[in-house]
Order: sequence, then C-alpha cells, then structure tokens
Amino acid sequence: MKELVIQGLRQAYDNLVHMFAEFLPRLLVMLVIIVVGLFVAYFLKTILRALLHVTRLDRLSEEAGASRFLRMAALPSMTELLSRSLFWVTWSGFILIGISVLGVAGLQEQISRLFLLLPAIFVAILILFLGLVTANFLSRAALLAAVNAGYPAPKLLSWSIRFVIWALAISMALEQVGVARQTVIAAFSIVFGAFMFGLAIAFGLGGRELAREFLERNLGDKKKEKYEEPQPL
Amino acid sequence: MAEESFLADDFLRQLMSVGEVDLLVGIPSHNHASTLLQALHCVEETLRQNFVRERAVILNVDGGSTDDTRKLFIESSERRDVAHKGLTSLRTIHRISVEYDRSPSQGLALHHIVAAADLLRARACAVVSPGTTNLTSNWVANLLRPVYREGLDFVAPLYARSRFQGLLARDLLYPMSRAVFGQRIRELYSDEWGFSGRLATQCLEKEVWQEETMRARPEAWMAITAIGGGLKCGQYFLGPKPASPAGTSPDLVDAIRQTVGNLFWCMEINEPQWLNRSSSQPVPTFGPDHELSSDGVPASPEKIFDLFRSGVNELEPILASILAPETHAQIKAIALSDRLKFHFAAELWVKTLYEFAASYHHSVLNRDHLVQALVPLYRGRLYSFLLEHANSSPEVMETRSEMVCQEFERQKPYLVERWTTKH
Repeated sequence: MKELVIQGLRQAYDNLVHMFAEFLPRLLVMLVIIVVGLFVAYFLKTILRALLHVTRLDRLSEEAGASRFLRMAALPSMTELLSRSLFWVTWSGFILIGISVLGVAGLQEQISRLFLLLPAIFVAILILFLGLVTANFLSRAALLAAVNAGYPAPKLLSWSIRFVIWALAISMALEQVGVARQTVIAAFSIVFGAFMFGLAIAFGLGGRELAREFLERNLGDKKKEKYEEPQPL
Repeated sequence: MAEESFLADDFLRQLMSVGEVDLLVGIPSHNHASTLLQALHCVEETLRQNFVRERAVILNVDGGSTDDTRKLFIESSERRDVAHKGLTSLRTIHRISVEYDRSPSQGLALHHIVAAADLLRARACAVVSPGTTNLTSNWVANLLRPVYREGLDFVAPLYARSRFQGLLARDLLYPMSRAVFGQRIRELYSDEWGFSGRLATQCLEKEVWQEETMRARPEAWMAITAIGGGLKCGQYFLGPKPASPAGTSPDLVDAIRQTVGNLFWCMEINEPQWLNRSSSQPVPTFGPDHELSSDGVPASPEKIFDLFRSGVNELEPILASILAPETHAQIKAIALSDRLKFHFAAELWVKTLYEFAASYHHSVLNRDHLVQALVPLYRGRLYSFLLEHANSSPEVMETRSEMVCQEFERQKPYLVERWTTKH
C-alpha cells in the first residue's frame, strides 16, 4: 500500500517535472516572443509617428476639426493616437502568438480567431477616424454656407450631416469587425430611414411655411427676395 | 525656356511669328462676345494714338467661352477709323488668341500673359477686362504709360466710386495690405492693371501658379511680388468704376473668399518681407488718389445686421477657435446691442482681422472655412459703417477711412505677436 502511494506520488512528481520541462521552454519562448513583439511594436510606432509628422497629419486633423473632438475626449493628437494604435495592435498580435505557443488546449482556436480580427480592428479604427474627419469637415462647410446665405436653422442642417456621416462610419466600422453584421445593417437602415422620413415630415408638414419659403427663395424669383448689399469690390 | 511645357504649340507658333514687342495688352475673356469688340477697339485706339512707333501685340486669353468670343477676336480685322485725323500707328498691331483652359481662371490667364510678355520681351504690359463697360482708350494708355515712359513696374488703377461701393476694398483690403506690406496702393484687387516686362519675368519664375488662391485673384500677388522685389509701384486715376451688371460680379461670400483668402495667403508666403516693416509709404500717384461721389444708403441694411447677429450666434464654436477670448467676448457683446445704436469700432475690427490672419497662418481650422467665418463679422462692420455714414459727406468718409488705415498700422505689432506665437 505504502509502495503504491509512493509510486503514485513519484508518478505525479515525474509528470509534474515532465510537464514543467515541457512547459518552461514554451513559457520562455512566449516571453521572448512578447519581448521581441514589444520592440517590433515600438519600432513600428516610431516609424509611423515620424511618417505622420512628415505628412503633417496633425495639421490636417486640426484643420478638419477632428483634433478638437479628440481634445474634448481627453485623447492625444491624431498622430499619437494612430501610432499608439499600431503599437497596441502589433504587440497584441505578438502576445497572442506567444500565448498560442503555450499550446493550451481550447485557447488555440479562440486565439486564431482573435488574431484574424486584429487587422479588421485597425481598419475599423481608420474608418472611424475618416468618418470623424469627413463629418466634421462637411458639417462645418454646411454650417458656414447656411449661415452666410441666411438660411434658417443652419445648426440643424449641420448636425444632420454630421449625424448621417457618423451613423454611416460607425455601421461600416462595426461591419468591418463583424459585430452583429445583420443587426448593424438593419439598425443603420432603420435609423437612416427614420431620420430622413422624420425630416421629410418635419419639413413638409410641420414646417410647411418654412418649406414654401425655402423653395421660393431657392427656386422662385430671386430678385424679389434679394436684399441689397453694396458691391464689395 | 522653362515655361515652354505649359504653353500650347499653336500659341508658341503665334508668339514666334510676332517676334519682339514693346507693348503687350492682355484681354482675359470668358463669354464676353457682347463686350469684347468694344474693349478691343479701345486697346487698338490706345496703341494707334499713343504709341505710334512701338511694336505692340494684343493677346486674348480665353477660359473656354461657349459663345463667339474667340471667333470675334480672331475674325475682327484691324479697323482704321477713317474719320480720325490724328497720328496712327506706324507698325502692325499683332493679335493673338489662345484658349488656356475649358473653365475660366484669372490665374491661368495671367500665367499665359506673363509667359508671353517674357517670350516677346515686352517692356510694358497691361491687363484689361472686357467686362468693364466704361473702358476707354485713356484707361489703357494710363496703365501702359507710367510703365513704359516713367519706369514703374506695377501700376494699379484708381477709381472714382460712389460712397458705399467697394467697401471691402476700402475698409479691409486697402488698409490691411497698406499696414502689412507698407505701400499705399488702394486697388490691389482690380480688373485692370499695368506691369513691366521685368516684373513679368520675376513673376514667371515663382512657383505659385498652381496654388488654389491664385486661380481667381492673382493681381494682388503680382503687386506684392513687385513690392518684395524692390520694384517701383504706382497708381493711376482712371475714372468712375462702373457697377457690375447683376450676376456678373462675385457676391460677398465669394469676394471675401477670393480676396481676403488671397491676402492672407500673400502674407503667409511673403512673411520675411513684412514682419519687421513698420509704417507705410505713399506710392507715385497720377491724378487724385481717391474720389467719392454722393449716393443713397443701400436698401434694407437691417438684414445685414440680422445676418451678423445670427452669424455670431451660430458660429460661436468656430469663432472661439479663431479669436482671442476677449475679442470674441467683445463681438458677442456688440451682437446683443440695440440695432440702432450698434457700433463696430475700428479698433475691434482691426484686432479681429489680425487674429483671423494669425489663425490662418497657424491653420487652426481649414483655411477656406476660416475665411468664410469672417463673412458675418464683415457684415457687422458693414452695417456699422452704413449707420455711421448714412449722412456723411465724402470728405468725412475719407477722413474716417484714413483713421482706420492708421489704426491698422498702430496695431501691427499685435499682428506680429499673434503671427509669431501660437496661442
């Protein structure tokens, strides 16, 4: 009995030693991969940051108004945000590779799925960034044009444009990462359709007079409505 | 010849067949069939009567007219007025026509004109617009003569104006350009001007012709290039500036985008030229340096005030990113004031413009958007001007305009400070 117990313990100890002997090199490999990944990610981040400085992305972002939103959200500059994103995406990739080296059963499939998702996440971030810049630029252009032309409710027009572009960018980003694809498309169609329908009703029924005034001003006899502004030059 | 590449072969052939000339008159056109012949007649008359022995060429640069503008120019033969008893030209007056693009651009048109002036070694050149309805042969002669005979390199026109005409030029462009660049040229943005072959050659060497701000209004850049190059500038009184027919001149928003945007851009690219310059100098002036005629106040100025007030309100976040907090607060305060007691002081106006210029330089937002955000504020200043001068005599108005100019010069150190420091 005693021998059996000792044999069992020895077996367990042998197994444990064998497991550690098998696991420790893998752990070491994982750590090496993670450390190498850290250097690679840092290197890529530095390269991207330098490239973005050369292309004056921050200035573009400032001009387009995206920087103001980033500051409001207590986020760093656009260059810093993108280079940090690349750093984390790259390093996360290396960490996942490292973990997969451990050979833990069940994790492999999840890791490979996550790994496949990383480029899609990066593209989704880019889509959101472009959406933010475009929405800001176009909504501000519309606001300025409407204010200078003396149209009523210029902010409503500006926010409508911003909302539509944001909705489009968010749906595209979610679709890119494959989150509830059908739901996102359906939700976007419903929100966009409802928004347009709401505008049509508000403008056509609720604001019938406003609609008439607007159409008369733009399509009717302009001479009647035009006030006299001295010739500027 | 670095510029050969952008000139069409046919245009080069025409230029070569002309040889060297003393005088060149450029006529940029776009759908000007109804007025082109009148302009052409004036130019020919000028050359025949005033420059008898000089070799001359008239160059029509067309921006894709869809009417018969080019055809009329090409087909019209040189007319000799048999009734005229005076001297007539002893030389052939050459005529060349070229279509530079399918859409009009004053910048491209001028690029072709200066390239032609350089190739033909013209000594004096003038640009006249066929859209100017009261163009006379005297106008063309007065633009060419100071260059050809007096040795000036840039000649701006001076016009007689009605009291409330050209206020953008009188209350913003002239005082600001005078304070910044130090030369008192009243009409930097005009449809007619004269320049020397030397200035044409200098301008041709600059790599700015593809810039968007050069498309619509290249003339001020040419004058500023002359100032920067130490060349001599002057101005010549031409006569009354006709009001443009409805729909032919840019509206206020376009005018501000084209001219103020261009002025800010000229400040940007010529920064070393003006940062350390203080005060301004008069330039040689032929004839009176201004002339205002009396007329009524424009109808419905209240609408202008409404647009100012709503603009200040609706564009608050945009203005906050452009203006200093105190300036912005002052503008918001006057926007709340009573319409009849409204006053946009010159001091605040100058400060506002200098902050806009500095923000343009620092690109705090898209530059075209920034210039558009100035429109409501200009309307405020315009309304204040109309209220203040509803019953003023032209003399009083001119005195006030001079005070505004001096205010621009007094506050120039503030511009330099804002320009050189990012806030």
